Amino acid sequence: MINNEWLSHQTIQSRGDYKEVRAEMVAPEIGFSLWRQMTRLRTVEQALHEEYHPADEMRCPIHFCIGQESIPAALSLLVQASDYLFSHHRSHGYFFAKGSPLKELFAEIYGKETGANGGKAGSQDISHHETRFYSGAILSGAVAIAAGVATGLKIRKSKEISIAGFGEGATDEGAFWETLNYAGKEQLPLLLVCENNRYATYSDQLKRQFNDNISERVKPFGIRSIKVFGNDSPLVYRTIEEGIKSIREGAGPLLVEAYTYRWNSHVGPEDDGKNEYRTSEEMNFWKRNCPIRLLENALKNANQWNQSDIDKAKKIIDQEIAECFRFAKESAFPAGVCWKELNEEDKTPLADQWLAEEQACTFDQNQSDAKLGPY
Amino acid sequence: MGRELTYAGAILEATSQAMSKSDQVVIMGQLVDYSSGVFGTTTGLVNQYGVERVRDFPVAENLMTQTALGMALNGFRPLIVHQRLDFMIYSLDAIANWLALWRFKSNGKTNLPVVIRAIVGKGWGQGPQHSKSLHSWFAHLPGLRVAIPATAYDAKGILLESLLGESPTIIIEGRSLFSMKEEVPEEMYRVRFGKAAIRKAGKDITLVALGMMVPIALRVAAELEKVGVEVEVIDLRTISPWDETAVLNSVQKTGRLVVADPAWKSFGVAGEIVTTIAERFRGEWKSRPRRITHPDSHTPMSMSLEKEYYPNELKLVEELQEMMKA
Ligand SMILES: Cc1ncc(C[n+]2csc(CCOP(=O)(O)OP(=O)(O)O)c2C)c(N)n1
Ligand SMILES: [Mg+2]
Repeated sequence: MINNEWLSHQTIQSRGDYKEVRAEMVAPEIGFSLWRQMTRLRTVEQALHEEYHPADEMRCPIHFCIGQESIPAALSLLVQASDYLFSHHRSHGYFFAKGSPLKELFAEIYGKETGANGGKAGSQDISHHETRFYSGAILSGAVAIAAGVATGLKIRKSKEISIAGFGEGATDEGAFWETLNYAGKEQLPLLLVCENNRYATYSDQLKRQFNDNISERVKPFGIRSIKVFGNDSPLVYRTIEEGIKSIREGAGPLLVEAYTYRWNSHVGPEDDGKNEYRTSEEMNFWKRNCPIRLLENALKNANQWNQSDIDKAKKIIDQEIAECFRFAKESAFPAGVCWKELNEEDKTPLADQWLAEEQACTFDQNQSDAKLGPY
Repeated sequence: MGRELTYAGAILEATSQAMSKSDQVVIMGQLVDYSSGVFGTTTGLVNQYGVERVRDFPVAENLMTQTALGMALNGFRPLIVHQRLDFMIYSLDAIANWLALWRFKSNGKTNLPVVIRAIVGKGWGQGPQHSKSLHSWFAHLPGLRVAIPATAYDAKGILLESLLGESPTIIIEGRSLFSMKEEVPEEMYRVRFGKAAIRKAGKDITLVALGMMVPIALRVAAELEKVGVEVEVIDLRTISPWDETAVLNSVQKTGRLVVADPAWKSFGVAGEIVTTIAERFRGEWKSRPRRITHPDSHTPMSMSLEKEYYPNELKLVEELQEMMKA
């Protein structure tokens, strides 16, 4: 589709600013929707970032995704309600992509009863079962679970797909490669979205891996793959659109490696620059090549920029966010939890229906142990 | 006299019955679709239910458990089998970071009925990587059910209760019990969690036994009966939850408690039981409580050392007689 052989974190910057974004790659209403969804996510994250301190009401680790909006925005326009989506710790974009209720995200972060998980999970463990969105902070775990869902979908011959979003750091884990081995062998309906933002916390991918071409390395496992410049939102959209279509048609698992960049610290609003893991030159490059800005320019070049629509959309976003904050802050904290009930289910409806009660058993203890052989 | 089945045969029957009753039940594990069928516990299932539901899984225990979790999320009731519990340690992340806390994390809304069968080797030089019984590790985790059936009857009832229940469950199976026969009803029945079996009534000593210690405990009780000591043998059957009431009631009668746990002593189930009863027992101890366990050592291979390592009847008889003196 597009010549992307040059793509890697080693080369992106040296090629100079990215000029290839074409609004025409997608229909005008898609272009506008991408812009709106990216802006919505960005504005949410900025608002949370600003509010985090000194209010100190969001008392959980938050991994902000500013700079990485294009993947979640594209997914939000492409996944179906019945698809399953699994996210890593940097979860807000994916929560958003699945159309899960934003005010429940806010309330969850605030630790409130009205949160998506009643304040039990927080930002890095949030889930919303009704919209089939799940996450977790243990790297690569959710990728493996996504393969389990995909197994079920395959057995049921369902048209739904299972999606896992994760970073390049997660691919250090054995669980990731176990998943590839199995998903490739089984040709599962699984979309793997790797947001390669170069770093795991502060650690450069090339400090942890021999090469930075995950999309190449997955191929021998029977996983189709494609790499894209992750801040080119129309390209990301088209890539994922075609990918999802092919998976639904039975073409098996696909990995999309999207090279992108996180603007903020790894976690929380505090600056982690003292670790000196990246240069300001690099950060400035990525801010100049911001996915929202690149799309804005492309829309303008294509004469698809309608200022009054844009202003209207921004206003709605601001209102939505104000409402989310209000909801979260006014909601009550959870109290009087029954720990046992929270952790254990004691109802067994199927067993009640199908199983007889036990009778006295007559065990004779005078039997010898099983004779074991070499195995 | 009704029909008899071995412990292994009872597991096979429970699995097959659950699979035929509910097409949500699928089984996954290494070599589950070959005729040897994990020591006869899965033999023939593939012919009846096909390879989609009887899945020979890659040798990737962590992924297998995560896959089961994902399938449960998708409406299945997966049963995982590990030929040895030791192999399952690769799946501790899936168990401790995901499965056990899924319900909690969902604010008590979502249950994952994943059942894990873990076989504990004993004898024929299984050695330190084929014989561990880590039931105390699993029982330590909130959100999991843990069972350790000792008899064929219970093996079937507990497996059915788990497969048709709603909670993540780990069933520890003693390999040395697999050939033991017993009357097992053909019908589908349940053995509930948290309900111990009083295998023998007695008024002098409460002997709580788990898994492969149960037949030994019963033989010891029979031996001591000959010298006039009445041992009450309680087979706990499930350890998370465990039947505190049954043990407490018994201790109230006997004033003596000994726990026989086929595992290491330190930080184990035996210690947990003794502590809980010590906290709740209001009467007077006639003898201090005791634990009979494996030594705090890894399992030796050599036949002679195996004999020394595993607690035997003689050791138990001695210990119990001493309790009567105290
Ligand atoms: C199993 C595990 N090990 C370590 C961590 C600590 N940790 C949290 S985020 C992170 C880096 C993740 O990097 P990546 O997967 O690239 O995602 P990113 O944060 O860049 O979005 C690490 C190491 C963890 N969460 N889980
Ligand atoms: Mg990263």
